[in-house]
Amino acid sequence: MKNKIIPYLLLIPQFILSGLFIAGLINAIMISLGIMPSLGLNKLTFDYYIKAFLRKDLFDSLTFSFYTALVSALISTVLGVFICYFMINTKRGISWIVELPIITPHVVTALFIISIFSQNGFIARLLFMFNLIKDQQEFPVIVYNSGGIGIILGYIWKEVPFVIYFTASIMSNINEKLGDAAANLGAGAGRIFFEITLPLCKNTIISAFLIIFVFSLGAYELPFLLGATKPKALPVQAYEQYLHPDLRNRPYAMALNGIIIAAAMLSAVFYYFVLKSDIDKKLKNKNLNTCII
Amino acid sequence: MKKYKKDRYISGVITAIFAAAVILPVLTLFVWSFTQRWAWPYIIPGNFSLNAVIDVFEKLKKPGGILISGVVLSLITALLSVIIALMSAKALLFYNFPGRNALLFGSILPFIVPASVFSMGVQLLFINLGLNNTLHGVMIAHLIYSLPYALRLIMDAMSAIGEKYEEQARVLGACGIRAFVDITVPMLLPVSLTAFCMAYIISFSQYFLTLLIGGGRVITFTIIMVPYLTSGNRNFASAYSLVFLGISVIIFMLSKKAAAISNRQLKTQLY
Repeated sequence: MKNKIIPYLLLIPQFILSGLFIAGLINAIMISLGIMPSLGLNKLTFDYYIKAFLRKDLFDSLTFSFYTALVSALISTVLGVFICYFMINTKRGISWIVELPIITPHVVTALFIISIFSQNGFIARLLFMFNLIKDQQEFPVIVYNSGGIGIILGYIWKEVPFVIYFTASIMSNINEKLGDAAANLGAGAGRIFFEITLPLCKNTIISAFLIIFVFSLGAYELPFLLGATKPKALPVQAYEQYLHPDLRNRPYAMALNGIIIAAAMLSAVFYYFVLKSDIDKKLKNKNLNTCII
Repeated sequence: MKKYKKDRYISGVITAIFAAAVILPVLTLFVWSFTQRWAWPYIIPGNFSLNAVIDVFEKLKKPGGILISGVVLSLITALLSVIIALMSAKALLFYNFPGRNALLFGSILPFIVPASVFSMGVQLLFINLGLNNTLHGVMIAHLIYSLPYALRLIMDAMSAIGEKYEEQARVLGACGIRAFVDITVPMLLPVSLTAFCMAYIISFSQYFLTLLIGGGRVITFTIIMVPYLTSGNRNFASAYSLVFLGISVIIFMLSKKAAAISNRQLKTQLY
């Protein structure tokens, strides 16, 4: 009897926090479906979601954010896995170089991108010194670029180290055991990477990709600080609709957020299964060990 | 053997390029923090000045100000994250109860749902609960976002250690709580310190969440730094970033050191 209560007692704070979190999401979804009792709106409708695709400003935000998130997440994942593979080879393991961008807040990353890539930034000054440009205006607009190049650069700087951090332990594990065995049997570095390391790390790599993809789809800081005035990124647009003096705009904000929630939920389900199989495997191994002992 | 050497060489070069790409932007912080004006097109700033850095330290010295809401708030959030994560991990890993999988799924959600989405959805609820614009309200919101990171790290380590040491203590007559506190917690001290750091970083980095839930009243590092950045005061933005990033690095290094020490002690105790 006592044993049955213990897990629930241990989980009380988790219940409260998860409950608050879920309540926040449910509230957002309710409003996006047109239910706002305080404004007398009580009828369930998908209108706001449909409008998100039909209203040009909202649709532009959607495509812009999916584009920047996809490009930055793809580049970060590929670069991260690639660099991770080589870093492990140097036998120094993961150093503070990987940790530094992880502990750097996004707002500071934005400052870096501005200091380096803006029209009076470091690179523009270097090009001027070497007479490659004659004026600041000749330097391409990278930071507040309407194609989101500044945002993508910022995310790459933040997320490549995250991918390395996320995949390093499983990758070095595989390399040590199976990679060395394959090398002994005569496989080259390229073959080991593509035929052993990559397939075995697949789930972890996909998890890393999904996490950073959804994060950059919905994070406010970088697009707010590095984005052009038009098109606005999804979270920036959502916040603008949210702050609109006419409260009837709020469902539009929540419909945009609802789309982010949908993408997040799909990713969360995948990540959950990867995490769970990982935990189950570890616990099972432990139990086997205890049996043997 | 020759081929192996070539591989090592390529690995070294790629790691070095990566390191340069990480470090160079951080170096610009140092230069900008001590600069008054840096006119186009000079590659080196014209006049150095301590104004920006002095301003940061004066704000930090003021009692009850940014030091409390910027640093102490995140430290407490991190500590609570670790404690709650230890409790949750224990329950989720070693007990079977209805709703376990749903709770596990719920616990990783903030890892993936962006903070902006959550904060817009929950703001009204926080206002109704009287949590908006308060320090503890912001702390709860930060806790929701830092907990999954702590939980993931601690669950990882706890599942690797397993239950056998704790069971051993139970067999020898220790009660459940005592076995957990005396055996499992010390074994998890190193990973708890890592989790503490991670949770601190997550809390300290939040901008949108702090802005919305804190209502501009709770002044953390990001809340003070962003206006400097948007108004083009790059030297002030850099000085704030440098000092606060420095504090994070110090916290990170201290807990790494502590983790190494406790690891060593644990080994000597076990043998």
